[in-house]
Amino acid sequence: MNNAKRAGSARMKRNVFILSFILPTLLLYLVFGIYPLFKGIYLSLFDWSGGSETYNFIGLDNFKEMMNDDVIPKTIRNDYILVFGKIIGFMLISVFFAVALTRFNIKGSGFYRTIFFIPNVLSVVVVGVLWRYVYNPNVGFLNSAISAITGKTYDFAWLGDKWSIFALLPPSIWAGVGFTIILMIAGILAIPSSLYEAAEIDGASQWRQFRLITLPLSWEQIKTSVLWIVMTTLSGSFVIVTIMTFEGGVDNATQVMGSYLYMNAFKFGKFSYGSAIGVLILILSFITTVALQKLMNRENIELT
Amino acid sequence: MKRRTKFSGSRWLMQSSLFLWALGVLYPVVWTVLSALKDNPQFLLGRPWNLPDLPLIWSNFSYVWEKYSFGHYFVNSLIITIVSTLLGALLSATTAYVIARYAFRGSGLLYYSYLSYMMIPAFLGMIPLFFLMDDLYLTNRALGLIIIYTVTAVPFAVFVLVGFFKQLPKELEESAAIDGASHYGTFFRIMLPLVKPGLVSVSIITVLNIWNEYIFALVLVNDPTKYTIPVAIAVMQSEMQYRTEWGPLFAALLVSMGPVLLFYMIFQRKITGGITAGAVKG
Repeated sequence: MNNAKRAGSARMKRNVFILSFILPTLLLYLVFGIYPLFKGIYLSLFDWSGGSETYNFIGLDNFKEMMNDDVIPKTIRNDYILVFGKIIGFMLISVFFAVALTRFNIKGSGFYRTIFFIPNVLSVVVVGVLWRYVYNPNVGFLNSAISAITGKTYDFAWLGDKWSIFALLPPSIWAGVGFTIILMIAGILAIPSSLYEAAEIDGASQWRQFRLITLPLSWEQIKTSVLWIVMTTLSGSFVIVTIMTFEGGVDNATQVMGSYLYMNAFKFGKFSYGSAIGVLILILSFITTVALQKLMNRENIELT
Repeated sequence: MKRRTKFSGSRWLMQSSLFLWALGVLYPVVWTVLSALKDNPQFLLGRPWNLPDLPLIWSNFSYVWEKYSFGHYFVNSLIITIVSTLLGALLSATTAYVIARYAFRGSGLLYYSYLSYMMIPAFLGMIPLFFLMDDLYLTNRALGLIIIYTVTAVPFAVFVLVGFFKQLPKELEESAAIDGASHYGTFFRIMLPLVKPGLVSVSIITVLNIWNEYIFALVLVNDPTKYTIPVAIAVMQSEMQYRTEWGPLFAALLVSMGPVLLFYMIFQRKITGGITAGAVKG
């Protein structure tokens, strides 16, 4: 009887403990993390501009409006130029440097590893301001260099052009590639060195070793990097775009989905339309990550 | 013989591209420092790569610190970063501990719901979050940013700390129970100190993320006295369209860069190690 009571109170104490450790975090997370996400999806089905009076359910009308909005295809195009440009740039650079720093016994490899990550600890705002200066038509680095080399004044407006979205690729790559370099290095270092030793004895060239050992065995890290690039770009390209080209450049030349969402909601007060763009971002991120995951799995089988 | 020359050729290519990339990373940082010491005529008449003329314009720093209120923004950013990092560490360590060490219904669901939050673009909830914060009188207040930064820091921290707590031997709790320690005592006096390395690396990453964060700070704060450094820099730059003060702008960049670079130099191994920890295992 007494024992059962004690066991009961011990169980009670345990449950109180568990709850007291879970609930504060969970409450904050539900209220400020989860609720806004679902409310965002919910809002996308309404016609709502901030006030509580006009709160009409309109079904998928916001999405229909998107179909007729000329800017939307441009934002999607721009986002995918950034996504695929970054995937190519990031992966070429990081695989090359990771191999160089692990398989080639290069002097100062620790130094390089430390240095290469520096841009990743800077705010994207700082990166954007720096690169905006690089591209500045009159006093910027790039045009000054071109003028100095050619001897003629060159004042091309890199950020005021129809194709300025491509000018945002170098800063995006510069700012982020340190992460995938570190990731690839960790992946390659995890490959058992006996494999390379055996290949060395068989007389396999460095290139063959790369193709048959390094690439297939660090494929997980390549996949992780690619998916990371997709997710951070589709939801984060907003920052570099607004810092470097303010409201999306000339005639929305650099507008991305995130910046267009922000403009619609917080500049034009079209909050439900903005929410619908948020849903679009979610759907496209989902489709893209799933598709890339599938694609890279198949290639994985072919490689090994 | 032929292969040997080819090999050293690729070595040479690698060494020179490594060197060039390192230069491309370091030069902008050094260049920012040099440019922060120039005045406007040097920007307009000289080449961007020229060294600053003597005397150096040290007054650019006091100018942004006082006239542009960066001293004030620095304090805002510092308080918000420290408080949210500590709160985030506490809230994630407690949750991670029970998930890792106690069997209870819904523990898996809890864990995976935190994990999946990392995959969802926070942008999706930005609009409702703004109205929620506004209803709660949390816009234009440091507390609002502290709450949202704490919440966004939790998922990654839970993910990493669950791993750390799981590695601790079972005997620790058993002997603590025999000694009559309560659940709370066991956690705070025995288990928490043992995952200190995990807590430290998670907190370092949180500090960097929050110090650099722009989107939430932009949406949730409109009152200029409540700006964080990234928002203040963005505002200052957009004013540059009408009034050019290049030297002070780069001095302002240094207010943001200086502390993180120092931080990175101190915690370099922890930062790169902690960031890849999850990704390489997964």
